[in-house]
Amino acid sequence: MIIKDIYNYREMIVSLVRKDLRGRYKGSVLGFLWTFVNPLLQLIVYSIVFSIIVKMGIDNFSMFLFVALVPWIFFSSCITSGSTVILQQQDLVKKIFFPREVLPVAYVTSSFINMLFSFIVIFVAIIVTNHGINPAALLFLPLIMLIEYILALGFSFVASAITVYFRDLEHILNNLSMAWMYLTPILYTQEMVPEQYKPLFNLNPMTPIIIAYRDILFYKRIPSLNTLIGASITGVVSLILGFILFNKLKKGFAEEM
Amino acid sequence: MENPNAIELQHISKKFKIYSDKGWGLKERILFKDRNRYEERVVLNDLSFCVKKGESIGIIGKNGCGKSTTLKLLAKIIYPNKGTVSMHGRVSSLIELGAGFHPDLSGKENIYTNASIFGLSKREISSRLEKIIEFSEIEEFIDNPVRTYSSGMYMRLAFSVAINVDADILLIDEILAVGDLGFQQKCMEKLKEIKSEGTTIVIVSHSLGQIEQICDRTIWLENGNIREDGICRDVHMHYQQEIEQKSFQYSEKSTNRNVQIIVPSFYDPKAVSWGNKKIYFTDVILRNEIGKECSTYSTGSRIEILLKYKSLIKNLNVNFGIAIYRSDGIHCFGTHMVIEKNITATVSDQGIASVIIEKLELLSGIYYIDVGMISETNEVYEEIKNVKQFKLICDKQRQGICNLDTKWIVDGKIY
Repeated sequence: MIIKDIYNYREMIVSLVRKDLRGRYKGSVLGFLWTFVNPLLQLIVYSIVFSIIVKMGIDNFSMFLFVALVPWIFFSSCITSGSTVILQQQDLVKKIFFPREVLPVAYVTSSFINMLFSFIVIFVAIIVTNHGINPAALLFLPLIMLIEYILALGFSFVASAITVYFRDLEHILNNLSMAWMYLTPILYTQEMVPEQYKPLFNLNPMTPIIIAYRDILFYKRIPSLNTLIGASITGVVSLILGFILFNKLKKGFAEEM
Repeated sequence: MENPNAIELQHISKKFKIYSDKGWGLKERILFKDRNRYEERVVLNDLSFCVKKGESIGIIGKNGCGKSTTLKLLAKIIYPNKGTVSMHGRVSSLIELGAGFHPDLSGKENIYTNASIFGLSKREISSRLEKIIEFSEIEEFIDNPVRTYSSGMYMRLAFSVAINVDADILLIDEILAVGDLGFQQKCMEKLKEIKSEGTTIVIVSHSLGQIEQICDRTIWLENGNIREDGICRDVHMHYQQEIEQKSFQYSEKSTNRNVQIIVPSFYDPKAVSWGNKKIYFTDVILRNEIGKECSTYSTGSRIEILLKYKSLIKNLNVNFGIAIYRSDGIHCFGTHMVIEKNITATVSDQGIASVIIEKLELLSGIYYIDVGMISETNEVYEEIKNVKQFKLICDKQRQGICNLDTKWIVDGKIY
């Protein structure tokens, strides 16, 4: 029923996504080019820092980091900026009926599309540095992207709905996402984690996803079945729970703002 | 069997929490628990009503009576604490016009954005685009950014989108004050057209005239429940009567004058009057063609409505108006000096105005006359509904309201 509603409002999602993508760099000279320049500059900074100053003992560390960082940025923007999507559209929410789910869906989708643009930079970097690609492993890239999309959507349902009632969550999430990043094997490999903490690390829903991205793009190998299944289950469970919670809380949105 | 109702409200109660000083954050919630004290205000209290498919209703009432809350419940923007709201069909709400308009996008692009918020797909919008642009009357500017529009153009575009959504149920909140008079008239015509196509319409408005033009029924809300539910004209009359009494009581209190409400002897028993009475009627007389006071007329005869007035202010500019209603509430005719002559009359402290209808081409029935005096700026001096009753007799058994001449030719033969 709600899913059908959301489908009926697909044009609204499309138009919100378009507005968001266009508006993101509005008024700047480079405009839409920033979508590419941003990740490129990050890559350059990391390359300089980690190949000249900090030695991590991992070959081609900047690429190692970059293929994990881009998906992480997508996820973290979905829970931080994504937490305010309902509040930001309060004029609409207070005055007009539409399936409220549309707002987080549109935000996550536009961030996702942004990530896809960053991936163009990743591929250019892979080709330029002669890193090489495994076509068989690459087939799993869309799958892991889809799983991450589902996970991010679930989390942004929760974050955006609770923030309406509890405004501190936005700031809590900003800090939490920074800690979360360091608790996810982005700057290091999972093998570096001390054995006694490993079970705790495996509770992190982003761990299998980051591992899968890195397997596909950096190690050029097909992600293990365990990783994929773990990622899929956490993704789907978070989406269902997020959806149910959102559905419960959305009835009070208009009154709480 | 198909459900004959488009809208069903059953035992709806709605409370709002009124925080005296709401803390949104963590600190406030923990440290200042006391500040989160709130009062509960009951806005709707066990409200139930149904609206049939294709029926149009108006909701009236004083500020805070719960009419906007009711509309928001129907639009599913808020949800009741108790009771159920069932809507059968696609709902479009004209509660907020121009939602999501982006000033930098062109009019045409904004049509797409705005219509998408009503749940239309791209194809549905494209098929309506022509109609929307045509209705808005801003064809030449449609490719300019919306920020260059005048507020009137902006509202016209927004209204055109909302009205062309093709909903089964249309919810309207006080929005017909759009654009110039010509465009308002066009909106009313469009709403009537939509209604005749079988759309269910719910209007919240302070403009009783607009409700009467479109609706079949009015619900008068008071303190979160129905005070009266019935034919528009009857409900409106009682509503206005009460407002009139309230303002009378108020002026009595504030000036401590000892005003008595005396029902003038010339009133019909069903008459209701309101207005600020800077100028007021002292008598209304209906006369036939030989100048005799009379309450029964035959179709096609002449009727003269004589209006005697007294004015408290000299040289007031007055727009006299009359209207004729049939006893079942059908508005048969109405006009005023500004419509007819495009001018108001400057009156002395007392006098007589006379409206002559040369041929009263209405069919048999009981009719009521309304009379009114308003200023150029629509300030109501006095309006009396149902001031006089008269009976019309038509010698032919024609049906309907108005009397039209007909000729009959069958196969070339004139009968």
